Amino acid sequence: MSGRSRNSGGAAAMFAAALCFFLPYAAADEVPRKAQACVACHGLGGNSTDPAMPSLAGQPAQFISMQLFMFREGNRKDPQMSPMASSLSNADMNELAAYFSRQRPAAASHETASGNAAAGRRLAEQHHCVQCHGPALLGLQHIPRLAGQQFAYLRTQLRGFKARTRADFDGNMTSAAELLSENDIEILADYLSGLTPPRD
Amino acid sequence: MSPAPFRSHISLTSALVCALTAAAAQAQAPAAPAAPPSWQQGRNAEQEKSPLHPFAIEVTGKSAKQLPVDKLKVPDGFKVEVWAEGLPGARSMALGSKGTVFVGTRQLKDVYAIVDRGGKREVKTLLKDLDSPNGVVFSRGTLYVAERHRITRYDGIESRLDNPPEAKVVVDGLDPQKQPGHFWKFLALGPDGKLYYNVGAPGNIVMPSYFQASISRVDPKTGIIENYVQGVRNSVGFDWHPQTKQLWFGNHGRDWLGDESPNDTLHVATRKGQHFGYPYCHQGDTLDPEFGKNRSCSEFTPPALKLGAHIAPIGMRFYTGKMFPAEYQNNIFIAFRGSWNRTIKQGYNVTRVSFDADGKPKMEPFLTGFLQDEKADPPMWGRPNDVMVMRDGSLLVSDDQNGIIYRVSYAGK
Repeated sequence: MSGRSRNSGGAAAMFAAALCFFLPYAAADEVPRKAQACVACHGLGGNSTDPAMPSLAGQPAQFISMQLFMFREGNRKDPQMSPMASSLSNADMNELAAYFSRQRPAAASHETASGNAAAGRRLAEQHHCVQCHGPALLGLQHIPRLAGQQFAYLRTQLRGFKARTRADFDGNMTSAAELLSENDIEILADYLSGLTPPRD
Repeated sequence: MSPAPFRSHISLTSALVCALTAAAAQAQAPAAPAAPPSWQQGRNAEQEKSPLHPFAIEVTGKSAKQLPVDKLKVPDGFKVEVWAEGLPGARSMALGSKGTVFVGTRQLKDVYAIVDRGGKREVKTLLKDLDSPNGVVFSRGTLYVAERHRITRYDGIESRLDNPPEAKVVVDGLDPQKQPGHFWKFLALGPDGKLYYNVGAPGNIVMPSYFQASISRVDPKTGIIENYVQGVRNSVGFDWHPQTKQLWFGNHGRDWLGDESPNDTLHVATRKGQHFGYPYCHQGDTLDPEFGKNRSCSEFTPPALKLGAHIAPIGMRFYTGKMFPAEYQNNIFIAFRGSWNRTIKQGYNVTRVSFDADGKPKMEPFLTGFLQDEKADPPMWGRPNDVMVMRDGSLLVSDDQNGIIYRVSYAGK
C-alpha cells in the first residue's frame, strides 16, 4: 500500500522503523540518483543542517510532490528550487517524494528560547495550526510536518504567506498567516523548530 | 491577489478580525481568536477539536501500478480495468464525435484529450493555464469549457488537437467578485440546446446572492443567461432523463451537522424556478439550525432520493448504452467522491440508481473498492469523480485523486 496513511502499512512500517533504528540514516535506504542533487542542500537523507533549508526527511510524500509540482509550475518561485524542479516529470517527483518521506528525521538541533515554548504552543492553538498540521504538528498527506523543521525556513514561509507571496494550495495558510504579527512569526518558528519529531 | 495556484472549494472568510497585534505575546490584550480555515465554517463549539478535514488530490498523479486497483469490484459479469492514466486531477469527461475523450480539471489548470490509437491511449494536455476548467461539453465539432468565470468554445477541436484554436467566449463575468467558494463549474448541454452550469454557494453555510446556489443556463448562440433552479448548495453533476427530458442533478449538503445529517441528495427539476431549500432547508425535511429559523421545509421542492450524508455526488449520467443488461437502461450512475465530513467514512464508489414500477428510485453500489478503511485518515486510495457512457456502452469513471480513468464493461453472465 501507499504508506501515506498514518494508520496503514503497520507491519511493514514497524519493520522499516526497526531497521532504521540500527542503521545510520543514509544507509537505511539507497539514495536514488535523482535525489543526489537534493541532498547537497537538504542534507544527507533530507536532514538539513542549514537553518534556511528545509528538512525533507520524514515529510509526508504528498506534501513533497505537491511542493515540487508548485516549483515546476511556477506557483512557488525560488532561485535554487525553480531550476531544479523545472525538468522533473510527475513520476520523478513521486519518486523523490517517496524516498524522502521514508527517511528518518533527525533530532531537532534548534533550541527554543525560554518562554517561547509555552507562548509558541499558545499561538499554534490560537491560530489553528494544530487543526491541519495535527496536535503534535507532524503533518499528514499534503500538509507538512512542522515539528523540528529549520527555524529560518519556517519564518520565511510564514512571512511569505502573510505577504501573499508564498503560494498556497487552498488558501488556508494565507488566511491563517494574515493574522500573525512579525513577533508571532518569530515565536512560532522558534517553538516549532525546537520540537523533536518522534523517532520511531 | 493571492498567489494561490489552485482554486479551492474552501472559502476564505472575509470577516477576519485582527486577533493578535501584541508586540509581545505576554502583553497581549484579550483578543478574539483568529478566524479558522474556512472549511471549518459552520462548526459548533463541540466540533472545534474535530480531526475531520478535506483531502487533497495528488497533483502529480499516481501510476496505477502504485495503487491497489485489483481491489476494485463490480457486479458479476462486469469487468473493471484501468483505461488511461497520467491525467492528474481528471474530473469531468466529454466524448468527441471522432472518439476523443476530453477531460477537465478543477484544482489544476488543464484540459486533457485522450486519443485511442489502435487500443493504446495517448494523453495530450490540450489546454493550459485555465481557471479551474472543470466543465467540458462536446457538441457538433465544438468543445465547450466552463472555467470559474467564463464559458468558452473551441471550434473544430478534434482536427486541431495539437494546435487548438483560441478560445471564443460564450459568456464571461460569471465570477464577478472573484471570491472563494463553490464556483468551479460543471457543464452539460440540455435538450433545449442551452448549456447548463452550476453557481454554488460561496461557503459551507452562508446566505447566497440571487445568482448563487443555482443551476443556470446560457444560450450559446446569444450568450443570454438565466437562473434555472435555485436553493442548490452545489451541484457538480447533472443529466436529462432520456424519456421525460427532465433535469436530474446531485446536490452537496452542508457540512458540520454530524455524521448522519444532512444527506446529499438527488433531485429532479420539473420546471424552471423551483427552489430546493438551501440555505434554509436541507434534504427536504431538515431546517438549518441558523437559516431555517422561521421557515418551513414545505415551501421547497424535496429531493427524489437521499444519497447519504457528506457522500459528495459528483458526475452522474443516465445509462443509455447497449452493452449492459437491459435492466440498466435509463438507470443513473453517480460517482461519490466523499465523504470527509464524517467520523466513519462512507461512499467512494459509483452507485447505480434504478427505478421501480412506480418510478421510485433506489440505489445500490456498483463500482466499489476505493474505500479501504472507513476510520483511517485517509480512508481511501482513489476518488471516483465523473462517469461517462461510451459509444460501445462501456462506462468510463474518472478518479481525480490519482489522475486515472477506469473502464467498466459487461462480458455476460
